[in-house]
Amino acid sequence: MGRRVGVVGAGMTRFMRRAQETGKELAWEAARSALDSCQLTLADVDVVCLTSAPDAFDGVHMKGEYLSDGAGGVGKPFIRTYVGGGSGVFTAIQGWYTVASGMFDVALLVAEEKMSSTQPHPQAAFLTIFDSILERPLGPNLLWIFALEMNRYMSVYGLDKRDIAAVAVKNKRNAANHPAALLGQPDITVDDVMDSEVLAWPVQRLDVSPISDGAVAVVVASEDAAKRITDRPVWIEGVGWNLDTAYWTNRDLVYPEYVENAARMAYEMAGVKEPRKQIHIAEPYDPFDYKELHHLEGLLLFDRGKAPEAMRDGVLDRDGDLPSCPSGGLLGVGNPIAAAGLMKIAELFWQLRGEAGARQVPGTPERGVAQAWGDLMQVGTVVVMGVDGGRVGGGGVAAPPAALPVIQTPPYTAGGHPLSDQQFRSAVGAVDHAVDARYAWDAGVAIGRFLDGLQNGKILGRECRGCERVLVPPRMFCERCFRETDGWVQVEHTGIVQTYSICHVSWDMQPLDSPEIPAVISIDGSDGGFLHKLGEVEPDDVRIGMGVEAVWRPVGERTGSILDIAHFRPRRDG
Amino acid sequence: MREKIAKPDEVRRWPGEFPVGHRYTPGVAGEAFFTALRDRGAILGSRCEACSYTYVPARLFCERCFAELAADVEVGPEGTLVSFTIGFVGVEGEPLDRPVTLGLVRLDGADAVLLHHVLDPAEEPLEIGERVQVVVRPERQRTGSILDIEGFRPAADESD
Repeated sequence: MGRRVGVVGAGMTRFMRRAQETGKELAWEAARSALDSCQLTLADVDVVCLTSAPDAFDGVHMKGEYLSDGAGGVGKPFIRTYVGGGSGVFTAIQGWYTVASGMFDVALLVAEEKMSSTQPHPQAAFLTIFDSILERPLGPNLLWIFALEMNRYMSVYGLDKRDIAAVAVKNKRNAANHPAALLGQPDITVDDVMDSEVLAWPVQRLDVSPISDGAVAVVVASEDAAKRITDRPVWIEGVGWNLDTAYWTNRDLVYPEYVENAARMAYEMAGVKEPRKQIHIAEPYDPFDYKELHHLEGLLLFDRGKAPEAMRDGVLDRDGDLPSCPSGGLLGVGNPIAAAGLMKIAELFWQLRGEAGARQVPGTPERGVAQAWGDLMQVGTVVVMGVDGGRVGGGGVAAPPAALPVIQTPPYTAGGHPLSDQQFRSAVGAVDHAVDARYAWDAGVAIGRFLDGLQNGKILGRECRGCERVLVPPRMFCERCFRETDGWVQVEHTGIVQTYSICHVSWDMQPLDSPEIPAVISIDGSDGGFLHKLGEVEPDDVRIGMGVEAVWRPVGERTGSILDIAHFRPRRDG
Repeated sequence: MREKIAKPDEVRRWPGEFPVGHRYTPGVAGEAFFTALRDRGAILGSRCEACSYTYVPARLFCERCFAELAADVEVGPEGTLVSFTIGFVGVEGEPLDRPVTLGLVRLDGADAVLLHHVLDPAEEPLEIGERVQVVVRPERQRTGSILDIEGFRPAADESD
């Protein structure tokens, strides 16, 4: 499987709510700190791989080109990759195949995000994640997706919210030992999380990672080069990535199959047959506390629904049997999106070399797994990293050759200067700009007919005889069988609540006058469903599994829109 | 699978916008550059001794060798016109009442070039290679913006 590839250096900026540095300056701070950590210069770098999440955060179209000088890409082969939140871990996958292929010996991997630029709130950049015709008219909020998934995860397994809140507590406490962390809180308690503001039930303020600016860089090298650069490379033993369906309302929200698929790919390559025994440290993606548990299950480290029990039993603590997010994760260190993923790779590098300082997990960990998640919330990116025979001091490793310096690479010197809100508002030379981008989204063939149906009070699906499914929302092709679907079917206008949230804030985090109840509704007579809102029901009376029916707008008010259904309400026919 | 659209006006569409704005802050080097411009009318660059190259505006790092740089060189106010263009239409393709001239100028002491307007080009056509000078707005009009520089104009004491 190509040449062996090792991580030989890592560096990062502080993660900050608002950095004084520009995106380029953040990228440079991280990149030079990674090069300094292994005593390389930019001239030693053969290729630069950059990653950064949506351009809309920094407000720079073609952000890869904009950041290239700070990332060290001038005059070199340079490429930017992007898989949303999965980007940071993916860039390590890209670094692996770039070097394993034999084309390059030394690759500099840089991940940057500057979310503070976005006004009025970075969530604006996420609004287009929703289907423009079927979902955005409902006025969605990014929190809906997480709240809906979290509610279903909790409900199906009968989980206690306190066991989930404990993840936020663990990570914010772990981050208290991270010199680059934004939100280290050594004294935080589960009660603090449980008492924090309810945003979109069950998601509360402290369940969520913070908006952040920051950058991380990692240096990877071919085996020969790695052994010249350091006595202790950390090998990339396995990589995997996988996508689920883009129809998030048609996904199994209880279990991240795409993470399992990516993990199986990485484990097979790494020769990991019993993940729970062979993986000693995990850095799963934790933008929300429940996601860490969800992902640990997808990584096959715990049975389905059992990760919360491990949390309760202390297994995931830094000194537990399987330390999870010893860095402090996104919940504690911060969440500059792409950078946060690469931070997990850097953490495994430091931990497996025994250089994580106050964060060092005890014992002699030999192998770790890092994972991130993103795109339309359905990509899994997984990297397995390991050292030969345990870290130095753990026994079994020969002393390094005398000619090689023993390099210490803890992130003691994380660069970056946080700005207060007042400093941000008054910065000399700052420029404000609004994107004036307007669109008219064509419904297309299948959704055009679907909207015609709604105007006539009918919900239409497309039948696929290949997999014997009725697709709602309809599409002219079946994404599983990859064949043309066979015909139109009218389905029921009743359905079952798969999951719901009680949301108290708008997309820009302003309080709502009265809460909204978004819900994923599976439609009777079909194998799919869609997002809509519940009405004519008290929030406390809503249950997963409840039968509901569409409430249509009066015929004269229908326009051929998802809003021709005013809302769904509990079924009245018993 | 394919449907012919006979009446394009009847195609179902949903209008929408992308409600995103940004506040761009100029960063470490940018703040030094704009503060000097606003307070002193000075144009600061950054010298990389290792690469023998002076960047303008000032930068925090050298993109060639990754050295840390400071806003340590004052350049201009005179320079040489490296290239120019005259725009006769606006961004929507509409004709402009007055053509706009943009120039790339290598200010004295700098290696990088600076983009700005060329003011009131003389009746004689501009020539690449001619000497120009920076026109900075009066102090009370300066806010810490690239527009604190009004533009370039042909140097007063043009030498042959």
